Amino acid sequence: MLEKESELHKKFWEIFSKQDRQKIDEFQTYMDKFAVNFNLYKDGNFIERSLPFDVIPRIISTQEFSKIEKGLQQRVTALNLFLEDLYTDAKIVKDGVIPEEFIHQAKGYLKEFVGFSPSKKVRTHINGIDLVKDSVNDEWVILEDNLRVPSGSSYPLSIRDTYRKIYPDFFESLKIAPIKEYPSYIEQAMNYVNCGGINVVLTPGRFNAAYYEHSYLAEKVGAQLVRAHELVVVDKKLYFKNYNGKLVRVGAVYRRLDDDFIDPAFFNPESLIGVPGLVEAYLAGNVALMNAIGNGVADDKGIYYFVPKMIKYYLNEEPILKNAPTYLPYFDEDREYIFNNIEKLVIKDVAEAGGYGVLFGHTMTALQLEDLKAIIKANPRRFIAQELIEFYDEQCYLNKELHNRKADFRAYVVVGEDVKVWQCGLTRYALEAGNYLVNSSQGGGFKDTWVMEL
Amino acid sequence: MGQLLTANVATNLYWLGRYIERIEATLLQIVTAYDCIIDVDKQAGVKLYKSIGVDLEYKNAQEFLSQSILGDHAANLNVLMGYARENTIISRNYIDQEAFGEIIALHALFQGISKSHMSIDYNFIDNAQSLICEIWGQISKRELRKNSDYFLRLGKLVEEADFHFRFDKDKELAMIIVDEIHAIIDILSTDAQSQSQSQKQSENTENIMDSIHKKIEGIIVI
Repeated sequence: MLEKESELHKKFWEIFSKQDRQKIDEFQTYMDKFAVNFNLYKDGNFIERSLPFDVIPRIISTQEFSKIEKGLQQRVTALNLFLEDLYTDAKIVKDGVIPEEFIHQAKGYLKEFVGFSPSKKVRTHINGIDLVKDSVNDEWVILEDNLRVPSGSSYPLSIRDTYRKIYPDFFESLKIAPIKEYPSYIEQAMNYVNCGGINVVLTPGRFNAAYYEHSYLAEKVGAQLVRAHELVVVDKKLYFKNYNGKLVRVGAVYRRLDDDFIDPAFFNPESLIGVPGLVEAYLAGNVALMNAIGNGVADDKGIYYFVPKMIKYYLNEEPILKNAPTYLPYFDEDREYIFNNIEKLVIKDVAEAGGYGVLFGHTMTALQLEDLKAIIKANPRRFIAQELIEFYDEQCYLNKELHNRKADFRAYVVVGEDVKVWQCGLTRYALEAGNYLVNSSQGGGFKDTWVMEL
Repeated sequence: MGQLLTANVATNLYWLGRYIERIEATLLQIVTAYDCIIDVDKQAGVKLYKSIGVDLEYKNAQEFLSQSILGDHAANLNVLMGYARENTIISRNYIDQEAFGEIIALHALFQGISKSHMSIDYNFIDNAQSLICEIWGQISKRELRKNSDYFLRLGKLVEEADFHFRFDKDKELAMIIVDEIHAIIDILSTDAQSQSQSQKQSENTENIMDSIHKKIEGIIVI
């Protein structure tokens, strides 16, 4: 189902109808030429490929985006306060807002970091919040908070430049919010928390799916792109190894790898992509890590359920943006509801991400549903259940025709001295009609997002 | 403090310069040999490749093009182009964006011909040479050079000098290139102990190149 056509959409189509459609191919030429890739591993093989792109942008009015912006600022502020509280006083647990065992069973909760407060008490520096627009209530709802290593911002940044070159008419005639400032948000946030030294972007390396993004953002942010062995910790301080062997102090690391791999001396000893001693330098307050270690607890799908409560608890405000209706089998009442309605719910494994571990009740057989119930009963903390949200489709120009596809929206929120919401984001669409999974790792494509006013 | 670079980026820039220069120089040699094979000396291609340690076999000029560019030997240009692309991906933040795009396009050109049933013709070489000219043009347009530019140029010059010596080209010109190499080594090793002096014309060419390689190894600390 498509959203009702607005005046902004009409203006877009009016200009689009006059454009040379042959020029659409130039987008792919650009993405190939500049290797705008999101790589995949398939059957053990590394495949370099560009992310599928659609030329029809998602259009959001400035007024509508303003509400999203306020809602995201509120949400991310509360999440940052939650993490700071959880790893210091844990008042929210002591006050019974979130059950203690719920925290302790969260995979991303790292009790070794209790008592540590990072630079300027900022923990959620770069956040990717996934939303969809519910077609039943015609409102935006939050699906997921990604507070560890959200990716994707480089793709709309890259394609917007191309869009302006190929179809300048849109940008001359319409009031579309500029988006170039996003890397400066990251740079400012890095400088704000920097503990003395240069800024670096830590990448797992050339064969990571999002290597293009690591490289792109490092350049735009003005930071060095480094792999683990190009950094070294000496006396609890982190250093960059220059080509001539000289060591240069590092004050902030925008790391693009998960906690488990960041320091083999502290976490997974098998990790070849981490920096030995980095955690020690971090705990000594000598380097800032973006995002903070231990954030995984806050973007745990189970903890997501409690975010509206966090907003009330820390900010004494009503949430501006709603969660998707969510049930926790951990609670008896919710579990009963889930078991009685499982065929119409979406079941998510809290330990999975990227569209993996998502089961749609309506696509499963009676036997499969019974099996699923048994698994949930045996390990209720591992799952959440959500009502299936009929979110709006977006029109996509695929194979020279317009098609409707489910699409979500990842908004980017950067926290430094203040909380900034980027007036763009990553709109991801499913490649097949009727598919609800839009993740890039599931083969989904992306389109630009235009925040526009009349 | 000068421009910061990891050893990995410095190495990749250096090798990028070498591979692109090697591909360009090889294509020039191939064009000359191709012309000879047609009606002057059928063995011109065999001799050319013998000098770089490759036994090349072909029936005619057309087949020489395919065998020299895509044949199963160490000087296969498609393979070299694959290496150059990797160097580019890793060091892309230090390369002019347009040059980056042209390198990817050059790689695509080689990939295209290697997968195509069509035989390699002069037009292919012409297109490849045009792209290489574009690459060098984009790279050299920056007036204020940084360390990254010097590493790339260093690779190009080392390869150029090597070609001159290997094929007994103009030795005077080769020594000018060697002087420029030393000048760049000096810039890149201002903080290191490397002492570079111009080499004498009488010095053995192998010694000259060995000495250059050692100095470069001394600049990049891995």
